[in-house]
Amino acid sequence: MRIGLLTMASGSTRFSPLMPEVADLLKSWGAEVSQIHPDEDLAELVKVEVRHDLYVLKAGSELALSLAGALHSAGANILNPYPTAAICRDKVVATRILQSAGVPVPETYVTARPERLAPLLDHGPLVVKPHRGTQGNGVRIAWDADQLDEMTPSGGVVFAQRYHRPDGRDRKIYCIGGQLFGVKRIWPARTYEEKVGEPFALSDELRAITIRCGEAFGIDVFGLDIILSDDRPFVVDISSFPGFKGVPEVALRLADYIYAAAEQVVAGTATLAGNGRGRAAPSEPVQERPGQ
Amino acid sequence: MRAVIFGAGRIGCGLVGLALDRAGYDVTFVTRNPALVSQFNAVGSYRVRLVDGQSSEEHVVSGARALFTGDDLAVRRMLETADLVATAVGASRLPQVAPAIAAGLRRARRPTSVIAFENLIDAGPALSSLVAKDLPAGFPLGQHGFSGAVVTRAVSRRLGDLHSLAPLTFIGDPPGTFYVHGPSLPEGLPAVPGLVQVENFEACFNRKLYTFSAGHATTAYLGYVKGYRYIHAAIRDPEIRAAAHDAMREGQCGLAARYGPALAGDERDLDAIVRRFENPALSDPVDRVARDPVRKLGSSERLAGAARLAAVGGIVPVALPMAAAAALCFAVGAGGEVAASLPWAAEATDSDQPGSGFTKLFGADVRSAWQEMQVDWRPDTPIVHLHGHETPGGYR
Repeated sequence: MRIGLLTMASGSTRFSPLMPEVADLLKSWGAEVSQIHPDEDLAELVKVEVRHDLYVLKAGSELALSLAGALHSAGANILNPYPTAAICRDKVVATRILQSAGVPVPETYVTARPERLAPLLDHGPLVVKPHRGTQGNGVRIAWDADQLDEMTPSGGVVFAQRYHRPDGRDRKIYCIGGQLFGVKRIWPARTYEEKVGEPFALSDELRAITIRCGEAFGIDVFGLDIILSDDRPFVVDISSFPGFKGVPEVALRLADYIYAAAEQVVAGTATLAGNGRGRAAPSEPVQERPGQ
Repeated sequence: MRAVIFGAGRIGCGLVGLALDRAGYDVTFVTRNPALVSQFNAVGSYRVRLVDGQSSEEHVVSGARALFTGDDLAVRRMLETADLVATAVGASRLPQVAPAIAAGLRRARRPTSVIAFENLIDAGPALSSLVAKDLPAGFPLGQHGFSGAVVTRAVSRRLGDLHSLAPLTFIGDPPGTFYVHGPSLPEGLPAVPGLVQVENFEACFNRKLYTFSAGHATTAYLGYVKGYRYIHAAIRDPEIRAAAHDAMREGQCGLAARYGPALAGDERDLDAIVRRFENPALSDPVDRVARDPVRKLGSSERLAGAARLAAVGGIVPVALPMAAAAALCFAVGAGGEVAASLPWAAEATDSDQPGSGFTKLFGADVRSAWQEMQVDWRPDTPIVHLHGHETPGGYR
C-alpha cells in the first residue's frame, strides 16, 4: 500500500515530530510511505495526480489544504476527506455545524465590520479570532469598543464569540478511531511539558459532546478545544488532524488507524474520496462504551 | 499416497495441504463451498506465502483438487483409497464430516491415519467416537488411527478472487511444526514436513493454549480495550506487551508445575512468540483474534484455564484475570449474552453473585479489572496500574 503524508517539513515552526514516527511505523509494517511537504516543494499543478492509495492531511497550512483539494478533485482518498478538512478550517462553517448538532458553543457572531461588535460588549467581552486561524494565533479578547478600532478583519471576516472565563486550564479532547483522550494544558504553552499537558478523565457530558461532534462531521480523527466555565462546557474549536500532544502511544495509535484505513481503501471496502464521511477503518466508529 | 483434507480454509490449505503436498501426497480437499471447489478444480493450484516481517517465501501447492461436501459418492471413493485423512473444519463441525469419514473407512483398503487439526484437546478420540456412531457394531475401527494435531503456524488470510483463474494465496507465518499423538496412529506413517509425534498430546496442546493462545488473546482483548485494530500494533503498546508477556509467563509457570520445565519452555520461547505477534505481514485484526469470546473464556480455555493451572503452580496470576476482564468488555461490546453462556462471567461482573470455580480463585481480580475498565477506566489511564496489583515477584 502507498501512503502519502502531507506534513510540514522539519524546521518549520509548525513541524510535528509525530509524523516521522508514524511514517517509520507504517514503513516497518510494509507500507510505502512518502512524506510530502507542500510548503517546501514546488508543485507544477498540471502534474498533481493521485500516486498514493491514501493521503493523510496533517499539515495545517493553506497550501497543504489547497493541494489536498486538488488531489481530492483527482479522486484521491484523503484522511480526513478534503471537504471535511476544509470545513473544519473555516470557523464560520464549522461553528454553525456544531450549533446545528446541538453542541454547546459560545454565542457566535460574524461580520466584516469590527465596529458592529461594539453593542455586544455591553453584555461582556468577546473573543475575536481569525476565522481560518490555527494554534491560537491572532486570538484576542475584546473588552472595550476602542479595542475594536484596532482590529482588521482577517480575510474580510471578523469572527467573535462570547468570552467565558475558563475554570483552570484549557482542555483538549482528542479522538482517534473512537478512543477519546482528555488533556489539560496551559495556554499559551511555552515549554514542551506545557504542550504535552496532563491527562484528565472525561465526564460523561464531555464524552457525549465529543461523540456528537464526530458524528456531525462524520470523522473519528479530530481534536476539540473545550472551555469549562462555571462547570459549563463550550466547544470553541474543532481541528481535523491536530498534533495529539499528550495522548499516550499516539504515533502507534495513529499508525494503526492509518494502516487500517489504507488497507480498506486498497481492498475497496472503504473510500475517503470525499463522500462526506471520514471514518476510515473503523471497525469501531466513535461510540460510547459503558462508563466511558 | 493419497490424502483427503476436510476443510479448505486457512489451516487446511495454509498448513496441512502444503505439508502433505511436500510429503508427496496426492491431495484432495473436501469443502462445503462450491465456489472454492470450482476455483480449485479450474486452477489446479494455490499458493502459500510464509512471512515473518523480514522476509517472505512463497510455495505453490500444485495438483490441488476439491470435492463438494455433498458429493457423497465421489468423497467416499476418494476416502476408500486414502492413506491419510485430515480435518480442519472447526471443532463444532466435526459431527457433520464424521459420517463421510465413516463411509470411507468402511471400505478402506488399508489402515488410515485420521488427524483432526482442530482446537480441541481430545480431537482424535472425539472424532473417533463420532465416526464410530456411523459404523456397524463390531467394525474394526481400531485398525485405523485417530489423533488431534496442535499447529504452530498462524495463517491469517486468504487473498484472491474465488471467481478468477488466478491461484488463491494463503498468508501465514513460517513455523510449520504440528504435533500429533504418535501412539494413536498406525505404524509406518511417512515423514511429513513439520509433523512431530509426541506421547503426551495433552501437554503439548496445553502448552500452546496456555502460552501462545493466552498471549494472543491477551493482546487482542487489551488491544480492543485500548482501541487498536491490529495485533502487530497492539503488541507494540508497552502495557499490552508487558501484559501479554506476563500472561504467558503465568501460563508457563502452571505448565512447568504440571508437566515439568522442559515442556513448559523458557523466556526465549515467550520472546519468540511475542516476535510472531509483531509480524505485520499477517495483518491480523484484533477483532479476528478476539472473536468468539464466550468460548475463549471457558474455564479450561486459554485465560481461565491458564490461570487455574498457574494457581496449581503456586502463582497468583494477575495478567490473565485482567485479560479475562478485557475479554468480557469485548463480549459485552459485541452484544453477546455473556452471563447466560458463561456463569462465572456473571459472577465476575456482579459482586452479589457467589463465587465458584474460576471466580472463587480469581473472581475478585476479574471483577476489579472489569469494574475499572467499565466504570473508571479511561484511555488516558494505564490499565495495568488500575488493576491495583503489584506484579508478584514469584515467577519473575
